[in-house]
Amino acid sequence: MRIGIPRALMFYRYYPFLKSFLEECGCQVQPSPPTNLKIMGEGADICVDDICVAVKVLFGHVSHLAGKVDAILIPRLVSVEKQEYDTFTCPKLIAAPDMIRYSFPHLPAPLEFTVDVSKAPWWWGCIRLMRRLDLPLRQIVRAYPAAVREQKRFEGLLNSGLLPADALTKMYNGNGSTLPSYLSERDVTVAVVGHPYLLGDPVVNKRLVHWLDISGARVLGSTMLSESDLQREASRLPPLSWSYERELLAAASHFLKRVDVDGVIYLTSFGCGPDSLVTEIVRRELEPAGDQVLLELVLDEHSAESGVRTRAEAFVDLLRRRKMVRSDVGRER
Amino acid sequence: MKVAFPHMGNAYIPLRALVEYMGVEAVVPERPNRTTLEKGARYAPEFICLPFKITLGDCMNALEKGADTMAMVCGMWACRFGYYAYVQHLILRDLGYEFDSLLIGREDPRAVLDKVRSAVGRGAFAKLAGAAAMFRAKAGAVEELESLARKIRPREEAAGSTDAIMDSCLSLLDEAGSIRRVWQLRREQREAITSLPVRESNGMLRVRIVGELYVLLEPSLNFDLVKRLGTHFGVEAQPVLSTYRWLLSPLWLDPLLHVSSSRARRISRTYLPYILGGEEHMTITGTLDAPKDGFDGVIHAYPLTCMPENICRTILPHISSSRDIPLLNLCFDEHTSTVGTVTRLEAFVDMLRSRREQRDLTGIRPGHSELSRR
Repeated sequence: MRIGIPRALMFYRYYPFLKSFLEECGCQVQPSPPTNLKIMGEGADICVDDICVAVKVLFGHVSHLAGKVDAILIPRLVSVEKQEYDTFTCPKLIAAPDMIRYSFPHLPAPLEFTVDVSKAPWWWGCIRLMRRLDLPLRQIVRAYPAAVREQKRFEGLLNSGLLPADALTKMYNGNGSTLPSYLSERDVTVAVVGHPYLLGDPVVNKRLVHWLDISGARVLGSTMLSESDLQREASRLPPLSWSYERELLAAASHFLKRVDVDGVIYLTSFGCGPDSLVTEIVRRELEPAGDQVLLELVLDEHSAESGVRTRAEAFVDLLRRRKMVRSDVGRER
Repeated sequence: MKVAFPHMGNAYIPLRALVEYMGVEAVVPERPNRTTLEKGARYAPEFICLPFKITLGDCMNALEKGADTMAMVCGMWACRFGYYAYVQHLILRDLGYEFDSLLIGREDPRAVLDKVRSAVGRGAFAKLAGAAAMFRAKAGAVEELESLARKIRPREEAAGSTDAIMDSCLSLLDEAGSIRRVWQLRREQREAITSLPVRESNGMLRVRIVGELYVLLEPSLNFDLVKRLGTHFGVEAQPVLSTYRWLLSPLWLDPLLHVSSSRARRISRTYLPYILGGEEHMTITGTLDAPKDGFDGVIHAYPLTCMPENICRTILPHISSSRDIPLLNLCFDEHTSTVGTVTRLEAFVDMLRSRREQRDLTGIRPGHSELSRR
């Protein structure tokens, strides 16, 4: 059985887990190709107009996969961590399979991989998926640990500083033994905070990392922070029930305090519900406390590469000048 | 202590009663309008939903009127509403306003209770019971009169006569100082409205309004959708949500509300199996039930970037075609104009009317041809 996984939203977080789990169960996994303008445009045509660009990209990928595979898998992440209060992910992630199901009525209902940690453990979602696929349940004994191992390997790569897209390339295309140039030591360091599906998709973020890289900046992504770092940081911050945004808030707070970071870019998509509040908290509570410069970059499907490039270059120039001025002032004193 | 709370439709009447019965002064700013919205939008995050912007403007009005404590319900839900007060108060403090926050639901309940006790003094609990009774009486009265007005308004002989009565009776209700007086007013005004001369109203169009709570209930945001449909178009419009429902259901003061909302959850589960934090169940179930309840069409009103309603919007067209019920999506933000909204309403009502005529002529429900079933 060929199962298609759209290269959007939670792909950049859980693809290694899903791929290895399904393959261990004897299914064939077909990811959709990297996003291109055609896929994004198609998604924007099908989808409701005021939803964030990431969901539109998901729609485009689903429409691309339609007819090419036997079933399309859409993860449904309801809650991903246990806290003393209720936790959720963004409502659009909770309802992603429903949106796909009723927007593509001619397609069979998508396969769901449901994660609701507040009610049932991770592997329960796997069992539900296996039941839906009529797979023998005993396979989970082998498949689940293998999938977890694969996911750990992926997270290890992310923690080493690779951005999601590069980590996935390294895992599955093998030949990437050289480190990408944005990781090398440079005079200016920029941290980019944003959802993995914005950071990982160069068509959505208009190659922001590339432009920062050629302007001569070292780039740190919020994906490189490990869960324990984030949890520690988050415990000092106002509680948020959206787990992923809580991570971003923690990441922003972490980078805004780090001495080796010169500037922070908060990447968000137009119409992102939780981010509209989180950016406000970052701007009003965290930024004044730190010494770094904060740039808020809003993306949508109409963003142009030249626009992002200009802003990236200007930002790096600004940081470099700021550094220069500061060292001059220091010398005069 | 001078307590202020944001406006939402006529919610200020029971809320003011609740606060004042406790012996605390309530500051009620003027009804929000487009200027309030512009004021709020200037300082609010860019793509936050519209209720945040207008309530921010509303809070500023209240603070300028001398309020020193801002009360607001908070919570940790998937919907952004739970964080409104927290972020709004950050913004307001940055703007230089000084006030005390009363974050009901976010702060430790004991801390909230302490604040209330220090303001009310002795016998806070005894007063609370009386205040709750007063609150419920006023909320019930507003609810009944509003729903009566929605029925009579499109049928009235002289345009505007219902609204004239409603205006005076709402201000009387607001002033009423005892529960007996509230009930007396409720009886009197009910008779006044029902005795208005009405036209023959065979074949009156009925429209259900579903969508986001605040946009549905705040006339300044939805360009007075219900009144406009009633007076100008002669269409009876019934929203699925009400202030009464919103105020009373978390307090468990009316068990019937829970029966209907758990029914709505059950029915909408086919479409949305997980709770999204908004009123998505009422939107889905309201649309599903619309043909059965005798409505000719559904209007879906929501603010730009509202998360639960956006998800509903991807699902509603499917329901609309499978249940054969016309649907109009109205997305509101601070740039939406009256003219644009009215034009769309006009076209929608025209379409509903011609559907009705076609049905009366041929006896076939339009849209139920082979084509639409495919």
